[in-house]
Amino acid sequence: MSGHLLDVTDVHAGYGVAPVLRGLSVHAAAGEAVGLFGPNGHGKTTLLRTISGLLRPMSGAVRFDGQDITGGNPSDIVGRGLVHAQQGNKMFGDMGVAETLELAAFTPRARPHAAETLDRVYTLFPRLAERRRQLARTLSGGERQMLSIGSALMCQPRLLMLDEPTLGLSPRLKEELAAAIAQIGRGGIPLIVVEQDVEFLLTLSDRLYLVEHGEIVREIDKASAPDHQEIMEMYFGTTGA
Amino acid sequence: MTETLIATLVSGLLLGSLYALMASGLSLVWTTLGVFNFAHGALMTLAAFVAWTVCVPLGWGLAAGLIAGVIAAAAAGVVIERLLVRPFYGNRNMLLITVMTTLAAMVIIESGSQYIWGARLKQLPPLMEGSVSILGAVVSAHEALIIIIAPAVLLALWAFTRRSRIGRSLRAVGQNQDSAALIGINVSAAFALAFGLSAALAGLSGVLLGSIRFVTPSLGVEPLLKAMIVVIFGGLGSLGATAGAAFVIGMLEALLILALGLYWTPSVLFVLLILTLVLRPNGLFGKAGA
Repeated sequence: MSGHLLDVTDVHAGYGVAPVLRGLSVHAAAGEAVGLFGPNGHGKTTLLRTISGLLRPMSGAVRFDGQDITGGNPSDIVGRGLVHAQQGNKMFGDMGVAETLELAAFTPRARPHAAETLDRVYTLFPRLAERRRQLARTLSGGERQMLSIGSALMCQPRLLMLDEPTLGLSPRLKEELAAAIAQIGRGGIPLIVVEQDVEFLLTLSDRLYLVEHGEIVREIDKASAPDHQEIMEMYFGTTGA
Repeated sequence: MTETLIATLVSGLLLGSLYALMASGLSLVWTTLGVFNFAHGALMTLAAFVAWTVCVPLGWGLAAGLIAGVIAAAAAGVVIERLLVRPFYGNRNMLLITVMTTLAAMVIIESGSQYIWGARLKQLPPLMEGSVSILGAVVSAHEALIIIIAPAVLLALWAFTRRSRIGRSLRAVGQNQDSAALIGINVSAAFALAFGLSAALAGLSGVLLGSIRFVTPSLGVEPLLKAMIVVIFGGLGSLGATAGAAFVIGMLEALLILALGLYWTPSVLFVLLILTLVLRPNGLFGKAGA
């Protein structure tokens, strides 16, 4: 079952005894942008944590670039180019913006490209350039998201996973970040984006997965997409909300 | 009067230097792993005994003894991390469990030293013979060297954690382990390095102390308590806070000894420290709301 850049097959994972993910399978191909949406607490973040090695799955397999990375060490997985950007509030509070970005080019693969990538990050997010000496905990929510995505870019991703990059942001900032993420995708980095904002995912991604109760309940291909109304109904109608 | 005051300030500086050296290692482990290493003082003891063996019975000199002592302490620190701390990473009660396991390490090292080296008092020679006059106050050359070495070592440690890639990675691990792992930092290697480095600093303090006090299995007991007080008083935060607190406490202690004598100083010192914490609950240099 390989051939894709990333293959997650029948994964069960969670905390304690009760699994959050219950036999979940997703894949992402090279050059693709994939969206994950669904209600809160149904396993989207858990899935990203399982792929990046922060969480060891109870069963199932994760393959990246043809290699089995199931239950691997997160630092090794980053070294292969599979990069997970967490929500912005997880950054290093007492580190400066520039210091964080420099440190993020940590793996031997990323280090030689640090200087050029730093320029690219500052071009993509001019606000970070303005705040380069500021400590992360003094940044606004949007700036922290930018720092989180910027750090992930410093890791030289061959596949970039973003966890709710526009969560809790004002519409204007949201647009700014959405545009930056679209630009990263166009630049040739395959993306997996977890979002509540289905509108944003529809414009960004080629395929969408609807995650509920730790399972994929729908896979939507944009080529044969149901219309917008239908997706909205799927999202809001099936949650029971 | 001025002579007494200068002598007191110099002795405060010496105490502060010793406390800063002892506490910086403890602080490094606390800020990186969130663990209080109760074996920190015992590592000082171990280093002093190893240095004594190399220096006195083997006769290879104190420089060789110092190096051997520091290496022995660092190695023991890494072993403690592997065997007694690592199994409990991620455990909800890690802080309390590691109080017990590092206390166990302390007992093992202290009893082991007693078994190997015996209870007879030993002493290390000074790093340098003779005495030096600082603004009219006469101290031994060894003590003057401590006053120079401590700030230099602290400055080097500060530069390491602020400027170097590996040093920065230790701070990153201390601030958010998951985020550190996700940029490719090997978190368990960082833990081992923090422990080893901390133990090396304990070893250095132990050898320096072994020329001032007698080397006994309980050499590290009082310094451990002092180092803990310094780290807590400083605000459990950065290396700078710990170093600052060390010199404040050293000076305060010297002045109290001058004013009140040895008998009352420990109690009054504690009262002053507690009063400070009432007024500044996050420690002398702690961040508000931290």
